[in-house]
Amino acid sequence: MTTAVTTPRAAADREAGTLAVCLAGNPNVGKSSLFNCLTGAACDTAHCAGVTTTASSVCTRWRRHAVEVIDLPGTYALEGHAGDQRVGRAALLEARPDVVVAVVDATNLARNLYLVLQLLDLGYRVVVALNLVDEARRRNIDIDAAVLARDLGVPVVRTVASKGEGVEGVMRTVLAVVEAGDGAGRGRRRRYGPLVEERIDELEGQLEERVASRELPFGLSSRAAALAVLEGDPETTAALSELGELHIDPGDEALPLLIARQRHDVARRLAEACTASADVAPDTWWRITTTPRTGLPILGGVVAGVFTVLFVVGGFLSGILTNAWEATVSPLLTDLVTAIFGGGALGRTVLWGVDGGVIATLAIGIPYILTFYVLLALLEDSGYLNAAAFLTDRVMHRFGLHGRAVIPLIAALGCNVPAIIGTRTLNSMRERLIASTLITLTPCSARTAIIIGAVALYAGWQWAILVYAVLIAVGVLAGLGLNRLLPGEKQGLVMEMFPFRRPVLRQVGVKTWRRFRDFIWDAAPIIVIGSMVLGTLYETGWIWELTEPLSPVVETWLMLPAVAGLTLVFGVLRKELALQLLLTFAVVAYGSSVQDISSFMDTSQIVTFALVTSLYVPCVATIAVLGRELGWRRTAYVSLGTVAIALLIGGAAAHLLQALGY
Amino acid sequence: MSKRSESVEEYLEAIYKLSRSDGEGGATVSRLAAALQVSPPSVSEMLGRLRAAGLVEEGGGRGVALTAQGEREGASLVRRHRLSERFLTEFLDVPWDEVHAEACRFEHAISPEVEARLAAQLGYPRTCPHGHAIPDEDGACVEEPLRSLAELEPGEQATIGRISDEQPELLRYLASLGLLPDTSVTVESVAPFGGPLLVRVADAQYALGREVAGKVLVRERPGERRAGRGNAAHARDGRPKRARSRGRRQDRHA
Repeated sequence: MTTAVTTPRAAADREAGTLAVCLAGNPNVGKSSLFNCLTGAACDTAHCAGVTTTASSVCTRWRRHAVEVIDLPGTYALEGHAGDQRVGRAALLEARPDVVVAVVDATNLARNLYLVLQLLDLGYRVVVALNLVDEARRRNIDIDAAVLARDLGVPVVRTVASKGEGVEGVMRTVLAVVEAGDGAGRGRRRRYGPLVEERIDELEGQLEERVASRELPFGLSSRAAALAVLEGDPETTAALSELGELHIDPGDEALPLLIARQRHDVARRLAEACTASADVAPDTWWRITTTPRTGLPILGGVVAGVFTVLFVVGGFLSGILTNAWEATVSPLLTDLVTAIFGGGALGRTVLWGVDGGVIATLAIGIPYILTFYVLLALLEDSGYLNAAAFLTDRVMHRFGLHGRAVIPLIAALGCNVPAIIGTRTLNSMRERLIASTLITLTPCSARTAIIIGAVALYAGWQWAILVYAVLIAVGVLAGLGLNRLLPGEKQGLVMEMFPFRRPVLRQVGVKTWRRFRDFIWDAAPIIVIGSMVLGTLYETGWIWELTEPLSPVVETWLMLPAVAGLTLVFGVLRKELALQLLLTFAVVAYGSSVQDISSFMDTSQIVTFALVTSLYVPCVATIAVLGRELGWRRTAYVSLGTVAIALLIGGAAAHLLQALGY
Repeated sequence: MSKRSESVEEYLEAIYKLSRSDGEGGATVSRLAAALQVSPPSVSEMLGRLRAAGLVEEGGGRGVALTAQGEREGASLVRRHRLSERFLTEFLDVPWDEVHAEACRFEHAISPEVEARLAAQLGYPRTCPHGHAIPDEDGACVEEPLRSLAELEPGEQATIGRISDEQPELLRYLASLGLLPDTSVTVESVAPFGGPLLVRVADAQYALGREVAGKVLVRERPGERRAGRGNAAHARDGRPKRARSRGRRQDRHA
């Protein structure tokens, strides 16, 4: 099975004989789960809206057929100009699929059928995957798939995609539909009121007259094209007006809403006809988690829990791993590298990378990042993330963010890298940029180690609290400032709130692995290479060449010793090593009398050093992830911006503290 | 009053309603066509006949307006329609969102005599099940002003009256989610510090930010409260509700 995940190819590029199957559906109906089952690719699924933000496609084989499966972003409708809807429609029109599998949520059939009707109106061959039937059964909702199939005029297959049930049936039905033939008359059903139908007829007449000989854009039927124009679809309207001027009645302005209303009515009647539901018990979990009186303490508990698990479990695992590595792998590696490269500078440089670099990846990656991903997946899949977003939306709003950003920001306290990947759940680039900047300003566990290990230990805990206070103030001001400065409109929050579900462990595992793999791919090589660069500079002694050029900034402005300046520069490669690095440099510079940092730095210097280390762009791994997630130009802004902030705050603190006599 | 044909009555009713809906452009041909689901040419033709009968006149740039006679007849029709809706929901348990079509048929068959008895039997209601004002016998009709959805308290139920169309995108997006005029919404919860509202529409729940909720203007629906929630707001319009209709309706909406 080939499982290259790519962007879908336009219809023209597809190899002959390949069957194109589009998956369409509302957000959070199990579309990605079905996609995974169909293709075996581990695409992220999440119990929150907007995970699949761009269409992805996978070429696979089923029985003896080559199939391209295209996963559209979750969308409630295909008309309109809103981001996800527009992306979905464009991808669908471009792909010209042979069959569209409409994944619908059996627990909310009426709203889901709206999209199905729209697909039928566009003239696609549709197979309905009636998903989440297990959930519906639990809630006493019984849907007669046969009645639904009869009324819609398309096959309906019951599925539980999270467990893989019914997936075979979907594929079989898709092939049966294709083999059954051309499906002439698709999308011809007249389901709207007389006014709408009259306008469709009139426009169809115009279309047939003007563009008789040519194919309509996107292979649409004339009825589908007419309806798309009346619904105000910009792409179809633009494509059609190239073929000839259409006369559109000014009175048609009211039509999109009228069509939407009538389609909702049709969907509701269809749903009512096939649904037998006993009294649905109200979702008490919702009430408890979203009512402020009970919800805020729960939120506090969850945040504290995430924090504790990250620090306690993460720290514990990190210690075990590091010890185990140093006891078993390190000696072997040292012997091996020494045997190959010799014990000189070259050998030691290689060891910086393969030994120090790899253990750094493991010591951060597995304990902190893997742990966080498991927690994040559980919070997403249970649906709690929505409740958290709901409660914190207002506070996040001041920063131009939505409540959804709260979880990545908490995660940033553990490690910035997964937190930045976590901002994928935010809707707009503006939000992601603001959130990512705030994340880079949030002290991760490595920087916390500096604040605790240097400031609290040698200067006093009150200074550590002061450093934290300054960091929080900077974060808040940066958020408020970015919200004012960045162009683009704050989007009003319209978020579907899903009922709580029990997370499926397999899904949590798949999602965790997928994100972790991204981290390993992106961050690990950079950490290893960064370590080797650092090793080279250190082993060759070139590093000291930098003392002179750095002196105005480090020694004059920040009033730090030269060795601290070098640590700041190379700390970017491995921030969690900053303290160790500082001591190593100090021993070289001042001799072996150096016991700890207090012997060559005073209180004001320790505080300044901690502030600057905490504020400037965290590390190369973060930069790498920023670059991939936001693009390199934005990454440059974020990186340079945080360096400027760090120098500004650090310098101000140094001068102020010096003046006050610390 | 001479007996008009049903279609004339439908037109008078539609013009009456459109010319009273604030800020939406009055009773123009295209809006009448959309409201009555007929083609614009047939609207123009009928307007000609109504003009000849002295029921409508030019409305000064906002389509047509009713004459004094037309206004009287329109108000009376709307009154009969909305009383019928009230009757159908309260006595026959027709779901409130389906009642409009039934009432369209009912209203033409009601004599002034029956209309008076219906009003008395219903306790002289001032609003229809969707929350629109019912004109009194003299044709006077005071629509309650629309409120912003953002002002509602948890547990309150209302009907969407209108969605501000400053942002057509938002309007379209909300429409695709089923947030359309004359749809019932229930505020389930309100986040702290002026945060978003958790709103239930049919089987789905949405979190709506305050700025979005502020654009959704709602009308309270008489006597519709969810079971077990907020007794304080019992019968907001100040008149006792008959227990029998309340009890029944809760079954359906709980």
